[in-house]
Amino acid sequence: MSHEKLSEQLNVALRAPLAGKVPGDRIDQLTRLSGGAVNETWRLSWGDTPLILRRRPFSADSVDNLEGNILGLSLKDEAAVIQLASAAQVPVPEIYAVFDAAHPVGEAFLMDFIPGESIPQRWLTDATFEAAREHLAFQCGEALARIHAIDCTQLPNTVAPTTLEKRFGAAQKRLHAFGDGSPVMQLGLNWLIDHAPREAACVLLHGDFRTGNLLIDDKGLAGVLDWELAHQGPAEEDLGYLCAYVWRFGRLDKPVGGFGHYEDLIAGYESIAGWAPELTTVRYWEIFAALSWGLVCQTMGALWHSGNGDVERAAIARRRSEAELDMLLLIEAWEDS
Amino acid sequence: MTQDNDNGTPTDVSSLELLGAVKSFLMESALPALSGREQFNARVAANVLGIIEREQNLHEDLVALDTKAAQQWLPGAESGATIAQRLARALAERKLAPDTDFMNYLKARQLLVTAINNPRYASRAIAEKKWRARDT
Repeated sequence: MSHEKLSEQLNVALRAPLAGKVPGDRIDQLTRLSGGAVNETWRLSWGDTPLILRRRPFSADSVDNLEGNILGLSLKDEAAVIQLASAAQVPVPEIYAVFDAAHPVGEAFLMDFIPGESIPQRWLTDATFEAAREHLAFQCGEALARIHAIDCTQLPNTVAPTTLEKRFGAAQKRLHAFGDGSPVMQLGLNWLIDHAPREAACVLLHGDFRTGNLLIDDKGLAGVLDWELAHQGPAEEDLGYLCAYVWRFGRLDKPVGGFGHYEDLIAGYESIAGWAPELTTVRYWEIFAALSWGLVCQTMGALWHSGNGDVERAAIARRRSEAELDMLLLIEAWEDS
Repeated sequence: MTQDNDNGTPTDVSSLELLGAVKSFLMESALPALSGREQFNARVAANVLGIIEREQNLHEDLVALDTKAAQQWLPGAESGATIAQRLARALAERKLAPDTDFMNYLKARQLLVTAINNPRYASRAIAEKKWRARDT
């Protein structure tokens, strides 16, 4: 859909849901923000109020033969999960409107714009955020514990409990579907199967809780964004994911997202949850996160081949080699310890 | 191929030089004229040209490494599949036990592949230090 057409559709669609909540009667500015390889993110002004639109530009049918939820929830289900997180005191934006795929706008939802810095390269290094960074690992632990305490019976049906065995099966199926092109991806999956932790209770996981999805202000964590990969699984998975090499932005000496230390993350978690996740299990999930990132890269390649996506998506397919390198490094470190 | 021409100005332009020319166009002409998503994609496109350039330089090393691996771990007739696919399938079927030699091959291969795709990836420097030191 063209920029003008989207703007026109939104002018019609947003009037009712924003009436009485946000002053104004039409869109002033509509800008596509960069990044976001699956869903589009648009910034718009309604009157003088900045808002954010998340929109899925293609049909999920093109890759629906691939088991699992690597492409993520429908935006409708994502919005439902964000609303549950809001009720659980997790810092998230307010949702104003949700549209399904049949709506002229396309599958999308509209939410508040939370002020703060979302570009990690800025908040990880800028002196303005020094105090914010100091408490951030602890705050992330707190936020994750709050997410994990959400009552799973309230979740959309698509966010269902699962087992490690099913996860391994889905990953194997995907590796086969992608043509078994990578010995390292297969080696990583074999290793994860052979070293699986004991099956733990499923909780709601954010599923993509990483440095690039955090919004930071001078006090620290101001917002948790991008809930499309929410799913159920063991609590340690979210913690390990945040610590994955690929999300440390080159700052490998700061294992928590390139800004913090394991002990602060775990202490923050314990302060809310009342129990402390095991570091060994967190590190297992770091290796799982590397495999997952590799699979996402492969999915991007598959999507591009099916005619969905631009040069960014084609380029991400090549980033699989980062995931492979990390798996080899992390497995070696695990075996040496 | 660019020819060393003592008798005048070279006229041939190699594929690597063509890549350089397109990259200059993207970075110096297209990028400043674009904004938003298009500008972002122009930057991505310039990076992609870097991948192609490095692949041109390193492809033969990768093929040599894989061919040697196939001789060691994939005895028997050639199939239609690539060496990487045959190795991955042997691992999936648990027919190939990854011993130290095999792990060293995968590590050497991964250093090459990341040298093509993302030579500045942070953990690559760690891997290079650990794995190259072991080779010598």
